[in-house]
Amino acid sequence: MIRFSAVAKRYPGGLEALRGVSFEVGEGEMVAVTGPSGAGKSTLLKLAAGIERASAGSVVVQGQNVGALGESALAILRRRIGFVFQDHKLLFDRNAFENVALPLRVSGFPGHEAARRVRAALDKVGLLGREKAMPVALSGGEQQRLCIARAIVNRPMMLVADEPTGSLDADYARAIVDLFASFHQVGVTVLLATHDEASLVRLGCRRVALAAGALALGETA
Amino acid sequence: MRRALRLHLHALSDALRRTAAQPLASLFSILVLGAAIALPVVAAMVLDSAIATGAGFDMEPHVSVYLTLDATTDDAKRVEQALRAQPDVAAVSFVPRAQALAELQSRTHLAELLAALDRNPLPDAFTVRLRTSDAARVEAARSQWSRLPKVDQVVADFEWSRRLAQWARLGERILLAIALLLAAAMAFIVAHLIRLQVLTRREEIEVSQLIGATAADVRRPFLYHGAIQGLLASAVALALALAFGAWVTHQLSVLTPNYAAELKVVFPGPIERVIVVGIALILGLLGAWAGVSSQLRRFAADR
Repeated sequence: MIRFSAVAKRYPGGLEALRGVSFEVGEGEMVAVTGPSGAGKSTLLKLAAGIERASAGSVVVQGQNVGALGESALAILRRRIGFVFQDHKLLFDRNAFENVALPLRVSGFPGHEAARRVRAALDKVGLLGREKAMPVALSGGEQQRLCIARAIVNRPMMLVADEPTGSLDADYARAIVDLFASFHQVGVTVLLATHDEASLVRLGCRRVALAAGALALGETA
Repeated sequence: MRRALRLHLHALSDALRRTAAQPLASLFSILVLGAAIALPVVAAMVLDSAIATGAGFDMEPHVSVYLTLDATTDDAKRVEQALRAQPDVAAVSFVPRAQALAELQSRTHLAELLAALDRNPLPDAFTVRLRTSDAARVEAARSQWSRLPKVDQVVADFEWSRRLAQWARLGERILLAIALLLAAAMAFIVAHLIRLQVLTRREEIEVSQLIGATAADVRRPFLYHGAIQGLLASAVALALALAFGAWVTHQLSVLTPNYAAELKVVFPGPIERVIVVGIALILGLLGAWAGVSSQLRRFAADR
């Protein structure tokens, strides 16, 4: 499903976020990327989701070499990947329904089908009935779940989540972890970054550890 | 196919919603664009009207030779032979005084006055078409013919109409230059308006791109917005031009009733109107394309 081969990522200014990273994530597998802040977790996830391109090496997602894809093809690949952003990236001038419907609108879904899918996604994350709520009226945990609803509304083959429990209290974090576990159980490939040990234990998945942009070790919990 | 159609419908409804969401700002920008388009349209109307007025006059180089009132048929024949002997003459046509009077009665509002006269005041005349418009040669011929017996007056008065034609050609070139300048101004205005809209929607655009929107997806609603602005602006421009034309027509009929038949305003026809709408639509699209593309490049550079 995802194959990183000797991947390096350098940002303008010389910051080397990743170097020589190689590993694979199988179809339907759930993998947690761990490591301290600044280890390169977010960069790794963005490369996996086709949001950024590697400076060296190759990232192959669903058989497609991300580095070789044109901008349009890369955008279309991103439609098949649900991304849960660390900072949520919700639109605060749109209500919950409109935020979740955004990927369907981009994909050109008909209105009635989009409405059905949005309600199903909101139901899945426990926000059904809050369709008209503006993001500012939602708690941090609800905003996180709204972001997850937007990531799954397109029924992606792969979910990528950057610190999905980072800003949540223990109860909310548990609920979110259980949500990802449920997606994994129905065959969705999940790649998430976290440094929350409790979540990692609860997930019980393979870990890929990063330290200073390089692979530290790989272990199966 | 249906997906593509849905995307276009979404983009169109989005553009219409955003136009309606800020009615005052939209109205103001459309009026500004409409005024910019109206200027060359009105200028074209003025030029077309001037050309149409001038078309009522003969532009070919010719000389009118008027005989004295007591000239006989034999006198006229001798003058005609003298005229035809001149090598620069292309054609000579005789206008009998009775025909001249009849034409004057039919073409002017002086019929009653002329009917009241006890005799025809107009002389027999010749209209001489020349092969040359060289002023010196025309003047030499005019001078020679004015000395012929029974010739009262020789008038070479086509020069002004030739100048009118030259002015019309100059006017067309100036009009084209003005139209090009205003077209560029319109495209710049639309580009600026769209650029501002893109800036206010930057967050939405960036999130959309993160979740799979292509540059074409992002560009589409803005292109529709530019096209809508162009279409509405062209409607405003045509309405302004037609209103101006109607006002001028009314003023002419009030101020110069005797010349109403000669001085007329030429309104844009159906084809000209379609051309105005089409050009405004294309300019709106081009402006929107330039505005959104420059901003998308800037967003990409900032990432």
